[in-house]
Amino acid sequence: MKHRLPLAVGALATALALALTGCSAGTGVDVPSGGHTILRAAIAGEPDQLDPQKTSSYFSFEVLENVFDTLVEPDENLEMQPALATSWDLSDDQLVWTFHLRSGVTFQDGTPFTAADVVYSYDRIIDDKLANSWRFSTVTDVTAVDDSTVTITVSAPTPNLLSSIGGFKGMAIVEKANVESGDIATKPIGTGPFALASYTPGDSIELTANPHYWGGAPKIDGIDYTFVSEGSTAIAALKAGEIDWTDSIPAQQLDSLKSDDSLTVGTTPSNDYWYLAMNEKRAPYDDVRVRQAIAYAVDRDAIAQVAAYGTATVNELAIPKGSAWYTKYDTYSTDIDKARSLLAAAGVGPFTMDLLVSSDYPETVSAAQLIADELQPLGITVKIRTLDFASWLDEQDSGHFDMLMMGWLGNIDPDDFYYSQHHTGGGSNAQGYSNPEVDKLLDAGRTETDVDARKKIYAQAATIIADDVSYLYLYNPSVIQAYSTKLSGYVVRGDRAVRFRDVSLG
Amino acid sequence: MSELPSAAIDERMPRPAPGTGRGVIRLLVRTPLSAAGLAVLLALVLVAALGPVIAPYGVNATDVLGALRPPSPAHWFGTDDLGRDILSRVMLAARVSLQVAVVSVAFALVVGTAVGLISGYLGGWVDTVLMRAVDVMFAFPVLLLALAIVAILGPGLTTAMLAIGVVYTPIFARVTRASTLSVTEEPYVKASQAMGTRRSRILVRHILPNISGPIIVQTSLSLAFAILSEAALSFLGLGVQPPQPSWGRMLFDAQGFLGSAWWMSVFPGAAIFVTVLAFNLVGDGLRDALDPRHRTRMGRTARSGSRGSR
Repeated sequence: MKHRLPLAVGALATALALALTGCSAGTGVDVPSGGHTILRAAIAGEPDQLDPQKTSSYFSFEVLENVFDTLVEPDENLEMQPALATSWDLSDDQLVWTFHLRSGVTFQDGTPFTAADVVYSYDRIIDDKLANSWRFSTVTDVTAVDDSTVTITVSAPTPNLLSSIGGFKGMAIVEKANVESGDIATKPIGTGPFALASYTPGDSIELTANPHYWGGAPKIDGIDYTFVSEGSTAIAALKAGEIDWTDSIPAQQLDSLKSDDSLTVGTTPSNDYWYLAMNEKRAPYDDVRVRQAIAYAVDRDAIAQVAAYGTATVNELAIPKGSAWYTKYDTYSTDIDKARSLLAAAGVGPFTMDLLVSSDYPETVSAAQLIADELQPLGITVKIRTLDFASWLDEQDSGHFDMLMMGWLGNIDPDDFYYSQHHTGGGSNAQGYSNPEVDKLLDAGRTETDVDARKKIYAQAATIIADDVSYLYLYNPSVIQAYSTKLSGYVVRGDRAVRFRDVSLG
Repeated sequence: MSELPSAAIDERMPRPAPGTGRGVIRLLVRTPLSAAGLAVLLALVLVAALGPVIAPYGVNATDVLGALRPPSPAHWFGTDDLGRDILSRVMLAARVSLQVAVVSVAFALVVGTAVGLISGYLGGWVDTVLMRAVDVMFAFPVLLLALAIVAILGPGLTTAMLAIGVVYTPIFARVTRASTLSVTEEPYVKASQAMGTRRSRILVRHILPNISGPIIVQTSLSLAFAILSEAALSFLGLGVQPPQPSWGRMLFDAQGFLGSAWWMSVFPGAAIFVTVLAFNLVGDGLRDALDPRHRTRMGRTARSGSRGSR
């Protein structure tokens, strides 16, 4: 999942959310208690749409995770496990993947699930060039051999195909009729454990349990999602028992939450990372020594503290400790003298830097003020530019920045972490980094099938990327969620997938 | 000032501008509340002017290890989430707030007064067109209009000043026009017109000085509202941009710490409160001091009061 956190909700949404929590308290009382168990979850913002293949909003996926399925899906350790496919074979030349589909699965409207649905779903992503089509860049053909078998043909060995098709619900299997009627954006139909019952824009989304779910009917009757962007409001509602679950939690309030016995606070290291990137198409940032000087000047511990209040882990590369793809790398201690001498070697005098951050991500604004103070001794005057996220993206894409701060979330395979950000001309390479050696390694990593060899390739690529300061990696944040102690069977996941199918309440 | 009703003098000669500067200030400090307001404002101007010199710490000097400390002898107002000294930031923010207030109200004053003068003196279709335009602007809630302007021009200090200036222009136009209408009917203006004095001279020499009272009062009150508006805009992230300190922005940043670090919100909030109160008190005092009717009554009260005590 390669989207940025979508938090573009303004004061109006906050006001709405305030009104909403009031409402949800009311409905919580009105629901007849005769064995009905509805999980009330407050998410930090409203989904932009409910078409899993089109949306890039995390808020949408918090809902759709429970409505849709993929052929394979990541377990807690982010290893791929059977889902709609029960098993798969790989041809000897590594070019043909055969998936054997689960039998007896139906969509929530009763239509049987067949191989044709898989072909339709994947063809839609590829043919309509949807945002996730890059995950199929090596796929040349998707064919239904019979009703329960699908083959995927690739042009070159693709060792990460499983995480490409199962890493997140953006690769969900959708129903043709649902797509063609256009209903999918507001009333999606999937094969997942919960079906969409109602969607009231600006207010709530209600799901009901799917009794025919292939993994067994859920133990709760449904889920009510409300949208509460104001963390204090969500926490107050949780403490008052008006909601059962929320992830709308400002990191600075974590301590006060942990002391509350009626709540479970779940934190787990995430695969997300935050970084600084300097525009290499502009002087003096085209000089690697200038970028390195800045990498030596910033204090990652202080930034992580200010941005995440001790909940984050400092990292000089993207992939967190604990991941199978973790590479140890510790080059940039905070060393202002080294930074000075690098700048002197580059022959750069005092200069002004335009630092682009987004008000939708308050951590970037806090960190930027710290960075401005840290770079001052180097003679760098940092001018902070705070924009809403949509404008931020425009400025990034048009290259109007000296340095920017942002984060990526939900990545699993190392290819997700590095390819589009650091390959020459990559889709997310806004900083304009280009190193033929890195290109070669990243291309090789895509087709290397031996796991150990692949690890070495990515370790090497990541090290060069950090040495060249294509990204100046800062830290891996934690996933923070809080829920009522009545909720059991719930697991806080590092990939931020919010799965309610195995939980029970009471 | 003579004890005669001022109207008696007006029959023959141009009326002097109501109250010389020194007289007004003497009247102002006679009321303890206005005097207190004036003292606070003077202190504020002093802090704003000397801020960088007298602030105990650098305004943007961060110290993450010393973050979120409660008020102490080292940091009288405590430190914020980045370890910055809140006292220093509150002091420096005074400069921003006053700057925004003064510039925006000056804009509103100049434009609004000009529009009001022209509209009130010329009358006719000019008056109709200008006043309908003013009515349209009046129809918008102040903050909404400011938000719309900032949304179009992009957030920042300059746009905040412009936005606040624009939204307070209509009120000056209204006040000026109303006063101009009544003064235009005065005999000394009519006499001047009959003598063939140029319009611009009549406006500047005869009308403007005689309508200055209400405008000065309005200026003082508008300064208070401008400070509030700036705080509101900054609170919404549309005014002063970080790391530059502003009271409204400091309140915004303090939101997440309401439960754990009260000092982050209390001190900037108190600064806004005290400043706005001071401007309002001075405004009230000025109104009393400049309004001839009011002044006469005050004079009588003073006399009867002293007689009673005898």
